[in-house]
Amino acid sequence: MTDDEPTASADAETGGRDVEVPMDVYKAVTVFSTLFAVLCVVVGFVVLDAATQRATAAPEDVNVVLAVVGLGAIALGAGVYAFSTRFRAREMGNSKDDAT
Amino acid sequence: MSLERKDDHDHKGWMQERDLTPVETTYLTVLMWLDKRLRVVDYLEILEDLYYKVNMQMPKSHTEQYNLDNKFWYWYPLYALGSFSTIAYVVAAISGALLGFYYSPATTGDPTTAYNSITFIMTELRFGFFLRSLHRWSAQVMVAAVFLHMLRVYFTGAYKEPRELNWIIGIVLISLTMVFGYTGYLLPWDQLAFWAGQIGVEMSLSVPVAGEWVAQLLFGGFSLSQSTLQRMYILHVFFLPFITTAIIAIHIGIVWMQGIAEPH
Repeated sequence: MTDDEPTASADAETGGRDVEVPMDVYKAVTVFSTLFAVLCVVVGFVVLDAATQRATAAPEDVNVVLAVVGLGAIALGAGVYAFSTRFRAREMGNSKDDAT
Repeated sequence: MSLERKDDHDHKGWMQERDLTPVETTYLTVLMWLDKRLRVVDYLEILEDLYYKVNMQMPKSHTEQYNLDNKFWYWYPLYALGSFSTIAYVVAAISGALLGFYYSPATTGDPTTAYNSITFIMTELRFGFFLRSLHRWSAQVMVAAVFLHMLRVYFTGAYKEPRELNWIIGIVLISLTMVFGYTGYLLPWDQLAFWAGQIGVEMSLSVPVAGEWVAQLLFGGFSLSQSTLQRMYILHVFFLPFITTAIIAIHIGIVWMQGIAEPH
């Protein structure tokens, strides 16, 4: 993120938000959000595979609902992962902050 | 390490002090709720702790202490020879077990049953030529790798205190490897095998005092016979595998405990 002030909880100009949380909360966030993200993406691809019969289905045979669910799961996984990057523990400023 | 959570902060209060959006509050609450119930973070920390304990090494390596990396880096590829021997051993064990389905150690007939089973494996059995070649070459590679491994250990001084015991075990292992090679060499019971066996009997007989006893024990007599082949077979597929595997496990276990030796 591109925060200029490490203690700020929000940075309106860049849209990058930075929330400082206690260490054990940070660990829980890291572990569980990674777990959710991986699970969502894998399940998403499995569902997408099922919807398109492993990408062999003709366009009219594709199960649209299932395909959307699969894409949605992949997007959700990516979203959870991206969302969780805003949390950080105390004294874990990004390297750009340390340099200035 | 205790599973008891360290209470270094106010569990409830800190969230109010932060300027959190409703989504963030919900997200954090859900994750904290899950973590409190599933304890995944705690278990991962136990694993991390275990990882560091298991990989404990000598305090400071010799190369680090005297900054020898500039002189010794070209030795490092040779540190793979021990693993290389082990891999060759495992390959030989697996291919040997498969060969055992088709080989029979009998000297009856002309040519003998043993020789016929080798011919069958080499000419008729599907993938038989491949299987026997794999077994033979992995055996050759193992002997070569074990010997070069010994040279590496010698020339980097890795046999020195506190590793003398493992050096002795290594001497035993290289001997066992050669006995493995010899017993396997006799199994085809062709001319090469037969006369190698003859040399073996005569070498045993030349041993002072115990010679005749050794020849009886290893070769089942003073001339080659069915009992010779039978003994070579049992040594090769039953006796040596158990002993060698156990000693290899001890050898590697000691390396694991002591850490890789640094060059002296």
